Amino acid sequence: MIRTKKLDEKKLNFWESIYIVEIVKGLVVTMRHFFINLFFPSRIITVSYPEENLPLIGNAKLKSLHRIKLRKDGSPKCVACMMCATICPSKCIYIEADETENYVEKYPKVFNIDMSKCVMCGLCVEACPEDAISMDTGEIVGGSYDRFRNYKNGGLFLTKNELFRHLPHETISKSGAANRLANKYLEDKND
Amino acid sequence: MPKINVDGKDLIANDGESILNVCERNGIYIPRYCYHPSLSVAGNCRMCLVEIEKMPKLQTACSTIASEGMVVKTDSEKVRKARKDVLEFLLINHPLDCSICDQVGECFLQDYYFTYGLRKSRFKLENKNQKQKRREVGKYLVLDNERCILCTRCVRFSNEVTKTDELFVNSRGDRAFIDISPEKGVTNKYSLNIADICPVGAFTSKDFRFKQRVYMLQTTKSICTLCATGCKINIWHNNNTIYRITPEPNIYTNTWMCDDGRMNYKIVNSSERLTHSMINGTEYNKRQTVKQVFNKLSKAMDDKLRIAVVLSNYLSIEDNISLIYLAKNVLKTPYIFSIESNQQKIEDGILINSDKSPNSNGIKLLVKKYGIKDISEYAEYDIVIGFYEDIKNLRISLVKTILFSYKKSSYPCLIALKTYFETDGSFINWQGYLRKTAKVVNSPENTFDLHHFLMEVSHLFAVYPDFNFKGIIKDLKYKEEGQ
Ligand code: SF4
Ligand code: SF4
Ligand code: SF4
Ligand code: SF4
Ligand code: FES
Repeated sequence: MIRTKKLDEKKLNFWESIYIVEIVKGLVVTMRHFFINLFFPSRIITVSYPEENLPLIGNAKLKSLHRIKLRKDGSPKCVACMMCATICPSKCIYIEADETENYVEKYPKVFNIDMSKCVMCGLCVEACPEDAISMDTGEIVGGSYDRFRNYKNGGLFLTKNELFRHLPHETISKSGAANRLANKYLEDKND
Repeated sequence: MPKINVDGKDLIANDGESILNVCERNGIYIPRYCYHPSLSVAGNCRMCLVEIEKMPKLQTACSTIASEGMVVKTDSEKVRKARKDVLEFLLINHPLDCSICDQVGECFLQDYYFTYGLRKSRFKLENKNQKQKRREVGKYLVLDNERCILCTRCVRFSNEVTKTDELFVNSRGDRAFIDISPEKGVTNKYSLNIADICPVGAFTSKDFRFKQRVYMLQTTKSICTLCATGCKINIWHNNNTIYRITPEPNIYTNTWMCDDGRMNYKIVNSSERLTHSMINGTEYNKRQTVKQVFNKLSKAMDDKLRIAVVLSNYLSIEDNISLIYLAKNVLKTPYIFSIESNQQKIEDGILINSDKSPNSNGIKLLVKKYGIKDISEYAEYDIVIGFYEDIKNLRISLVKTILFSYKKSSYPCLIALKTYFETDGSFINWQGYLRKTAKVVNSPENTFDLHHFLMEVSHLFAVYPDFNFKGIIKDLKYKEEGQ
């Protein structure tokens, strides 16, 4: 059943109902902003997104552009388990898995995210058992005229090249279900 | 016929039937790992425990024979607790591998954990037993011993079904693992069934490994066309690609299927695939091909050449009916032949038939209906029309043929066909059952349904067929399932 709620509209008084006065009042507000912005540009409180961004505060950083975390040796933590692609409500993650020689056995040969479809819900991050995909880059995806151009060239399409990266000064994450195997692999590599 | 009571329902068991089977027949599901309907009962996993009145301990439903007056509870507090404990026990040494395990989506550990377990592990990750991971076994399998729950389904399969005895349980206790007899190796022709029956991700298929998650695939029922047995199969596919084939167990023909049958889907995208019709070294699209063949045939008819049409055991009934129609009503040639197939026999006692053509029985019925001669009466003809696989064995001079094929070859006039993964067709298997293949993927643009192609050629000759396949097939004497 659809629930309905009746709203009592406020009755207009005489001056409001002839509109002219209200229109003039509105114009005054608009003109005030116009002249303030014209003569004191430093007092503008909006930014021209997407060319400009405000710095993100607090945990807002954790809902920004995706990346795939890397291990110490630069190999991706992602093991192409497809959990993120499965849970993603907008089905914008495309992964092709392949076999590796090392202990972990599986890695993503192709990993694409179509940011024009992403709704920034963060479910992929929640679902990842390897702590691989994360949305902690602090970058905000801007508008673009070309969905399928690469993100680096101003488009909205993320591939392995843009996704696989360390952040500056990050402590490398060591959690994840396949970590026992990953550590074995890293140990072997150091020998 | 003992009467038993399960969860308050009175059920009638067959003599010697286990409680699990009685419940299964009556729609009561009992969780199991080691029990498999087509293998002997082992009773080692303890997942199927049920409570039976007057028995002090819980009993395994798979190995307890139902007897008169038993009162069974499959969902009491005690049973639920036992299941939870068995699961915890099975998972003690189980690795955290789901993210790299191919069984996800069809794993009984996962499924039962969510249905019956849901208990946090009390066992530390570092203390888990470690065993050999990824081990290639035979041509088609990968074994991961850490994931194995030692249900011995695989061992029993190799003992009882293929009777090759390659697998055995090595060592004891928590160090036990599945091993492969070194002198034998897994070389049997049914090895991929082991990946199917393994309830967890210990045995997985090398071919399907990491390609897709199973829950992302759709299944379509079809039949295997690699031999006269005509096993019923499930084709797993998505986005116009086939990823694997598994058997569709049925009481008529097959519980299992052979490895070659499973790999048969590779023809669809193989490099040998004929994607355009090739006439004298030139590729033609569909329309041009029909035109070319029409020109060739009408010229031959004007010259009063002798044209022979050869039916094929590899093609569906529909396609063969169209061939007969073309010969009789369009080309008006008396030279219609069939090719005798190998003797039909299950050569290894399991499934593989000595007759490698899927439709010999269908052709036999058509031959009887239309009075068609055998190719042994073959003499010299000016043009031979037929299926490539048949004709290549007949040593007919190359130039004189119009052949239908999936594969590239050196014959000068080849018409590209759709495979039976790309079109539907009816076949009659060696037992006489009528079965249909199903279209699951799209074919390359310039390949033909054979019967469409033949009808188009007839249209150019201004002959318009007035029959329907359903009617003709209905008249054939085939068996129907359920009889
Ligand atoms: S944030 Fe949401 S929509 Fe975007 S990729 Fe992740 S799961 Fe998909
Ligand atoms: S959930 Fe994590 S590990 Fe799995 S495919 Fe996505 S990013 Fe990779
Ligand atoms: S066998 Fe099942 S529970 Fe074990 S790793 Fe594979 S999917 Fe996970
Ligand atoms: S490998 Fe699979 S089928 Fe064989 S004993 Fe282990 S779990 Fe059972
Ligand atoms: S199914 Fe009964 S003990 Fe395994």
